[in-house]
Amino acid sequence: MNIELSREATEYGRQARRALEAAGGDRLVQLAEEEPERREKVVAPVLAGLGAWELNPCGDAGELEAAAALCRSAGYWALPYPVAERLSRPAGLDADGLLVVAAPAPSAPVADLDLRWVAVTVSGERSRAVTLPQTSPPRHSAFVAELELSPVDGDGAADAALGLVLPCWTLLGMLDRAIDLTRAHVTVRTQFGQPLAAFQGVQFQLTDAEVERSGVEMLARYALWSLLASPADALADALALRLAALEAAQTVFRVAHQLHGATGFCDETFLSWLSRYSQPLRRLPLGLSATREQLGRQLGRRGLTGLFSEAR
Amino acid sequence: MGEGATALRGQLRTMVGEHIPADFLGAFTEDPADLEIAQRFCGLLADRGLLCLAWPEEFGGRSASVWEQTVVREEMWAHHEPRGAQYMGINWVGPAIMRHGTPEQQRRHLPPITRGEVIWCQGFSEPDAGSDLASLRTAARPVEADVQPDGEGGTARQAGDGGWLVSGQKIWTSYATMAQWCFLLARTSRGARKQQGLTIFLVPMSRAGIEVRPIRCMIGPHHLNEVFLDEVRVGPADVLGTVDDGWKVVQEVLAFERVGIARYARCERLLQAAPSALGDRWDDLPAELRGRWAGMLVHCRRARLLAYRVLALQSQGRVSPVDTAAYRIAVTKLDQDSAEVLMEMAGLARLAGAGGRRFSRAVQDHWRYAQASTVASGSIEMQRILLARALLAAS
Ligand SMILES: Cc1cc2nc3c(=O)[nH]c(=O)nc-3n(C[C@H](O)[C@H](O)[C@H](O)COP(=O)(O)OP(=O)(O)OC[C@H]3O[C@@H](n4cnc5c(N)ncnc54)[C@H](O)[C@@H]3O)c2cc1C
Repeated sequence: MNIELSREATEYGRQARRALEAAGGDRLVQLAEEEPERREKVVAPVLAGLGAWELNPCGDAGELEAAAALCRSAGYWALPYPVAERLSRPAGLDADGLLVVAAPAPSAPVADLDLRWVAVTVSGERSRAVTLPQTSPPRHSAFVAELELSPVDGDGAADAALGLVLPCWTLLGMLDRAIDLTRAHVTVRTQFGQPLAAFQGVQFQLTDAEVERSGVEMLARYALWSLLASPADALADALALRLAALEAAQTVFRVAHQLHGATGFCDETFLSWLSRYSQPLRRLPLGLSATREQLGRQLGRRGLTGLFSEAR
Repeated sequence: MGEGATALRGQLRTMVGEHIPADFLGAFTEDPADLEIAQRFCGLLADRGLLCLAWPEEFGGRSASVWEQTVVREEMWAHHEPRGAQYMGINWVGPAIMRHGTPEQQRRHLPPITRGEVIWCQGFSEPDAGSDLASLRTAARPVEADVQPDGEGGTARQAGDGGWLVSGQKIWTSYATMAQWCFLLARTSRGARKQQGLTIFLVPMSRAGIEVRPIRCMIGPHHLNEVFLDEVRVGPADVLGTVDDGWKVVQEVLAFERVGIARYARCERLLQAAPSALGDRWDDLPAELRGRWAGMLVHCRRARLLAYRVLALQSQGRVSPVDTAAYRIAVTKLDQDSAEVLMEMAGLARLAGAGGRRFSRAVQDHWRYAQASTVASGSIEMQRILLARALLAAS
């Protein structure tokens, strides 16, 4: 595994972040909340301009890394669009994207989009998925729609691994942003005659958050490598990444909210948007406990591949 | 807690069952009907002598025990506070006026609170004064200063005799759009310490120069606001307690406020409701999630017992801010941790009929509120600092 993403992928991610900023940045999710139907029109052309839909993450390590970097940049702006889901569309099935779902309540943040979806469970059962009409506005639903499934086949194990890994890259981008916002806030906000950043109680919280974030970053790269280099382990590695990402999200968003004080809850602060729109990624398809259980089941008595996994 | 408390709990549950719709999520939703429900319910509680039951009889209460008062707080918070914003009048505005108000202020302000007719807001925080509240800048300028230059004339009159003009900005003022009165903290002079020279004013929100602007936030609508004060006229009759000595009152108010909300009661009610809300789906939950659920029930009990310790000490007049700090740290963490556990159940609950969907909505509401519980009424770090100081001083 490479500790760093390739230079090309890193540069591509940087360009994507800039392009999304130029297209509206933080405003994009706010506009989408006001006018959900317009999000396809506003966001999809920017992604097309970045060549997103020409990427083939299933086949080539370079393109896989580029796809991951793009998801991370999308997360940074809480982009109200299923980028990771579209990038993980399965080869061989005519569809615009892939959604990893869990019984008995399949749902995904893909409301109000005219796209054709394939759904896959963690155990690899694939179906065609149709979104059911929305019952609540995005402010409450965060674009999550319930799905109606019609079974296709059981060949989706590899799809499931990719479909779990890429959204974790989106979540990683959100964690990057939450930490950037918090770091900026505690250096500017003054109380008791000094910046909040001068208080050790603030510093330690920020470091706890950063330890979690950087851990996810490494596991995210590992899982990317595993997808192509170690397909037999890919699903376990994807679930391991998801578990760490969910744990990290809890810590990072808690610290971000705490250190922002009351201002972090109001819509003038981007944290309020980031925190709300991170929810679907953190709850679907599996929450923290369900991910732990699924990982435990996947590992069985074998454990996770590591220094001593051969010794038993 | 005693038989009286148990009977009272039963009575309150019956009243909630009869008068509060099952899907009620508090007075501050997008639906104005919810505010009306709360207003009516306050009236009912008042008619039955249950609104201010812990207040002394001379002020319209029943001198009920601290445990009966606790039961009211638990039942109300557990059922999404059907008293609306009025819990503040009962928990801390009224008690502060009883302790520090003039007989005239008591006559004027306490009866409307006991009748459930008035909403108060708390004008403390400012854009630059949050955790460091004492650094606030909203200034009350004595009116005489306009006509008499400083230090001249040698009159015996005191600054403020002719009233003040208050200017500045408050922020995060809960319920300011619906409040009739503000419990306002402003600077009347500069002392050696920044805690000196602060004064509490009881100001009607209708007074000229006050403007309220709502703040859109993730907690929900009608909650947080900015309050702008532009030369708002206040007089000596509006001062609560002593001019320049308001900080003492603020400390008392915050101490009342911090034990006033029985957060553990809502956590426990939602956690206990989960199995029946999920019905058969309960068995589909990951075993580990059910383990976390059980752990949260233990934490509910722990927080409740810590609250009872504070209340027992308080009733003997022995409570210290340190005991309150430990309780508040435990209960606000419980609020957030239980919200995470419940959110992982909410998705499945949606499949379990109308009851399940109702539960799911209540859980989401709980999650949003819980995010702020370690910041509202003062950040938890301030409590940590207090507790640490006390622990280390004791060794
Ligand atoms: C839901 C809600 C309702 C509210 N209602 C009212 C109201 O009705 N009236 C009113 O006057 N106010 C109200 N407030 C404001 C509340 O009192 C303040 O938010 C609180 O005192 C913290 O101030 P701040 O938000 O400015 O945070 P800041 O003081 O800016 O602090 C931000 C964060 O920095 C950290 N921090 C700060 N100082 C230190 C330190 N010395 N050491 C370590 N860490 C530190 C903490 O994590 C803190 O949370 C409300 C707030 C909320 C969230």
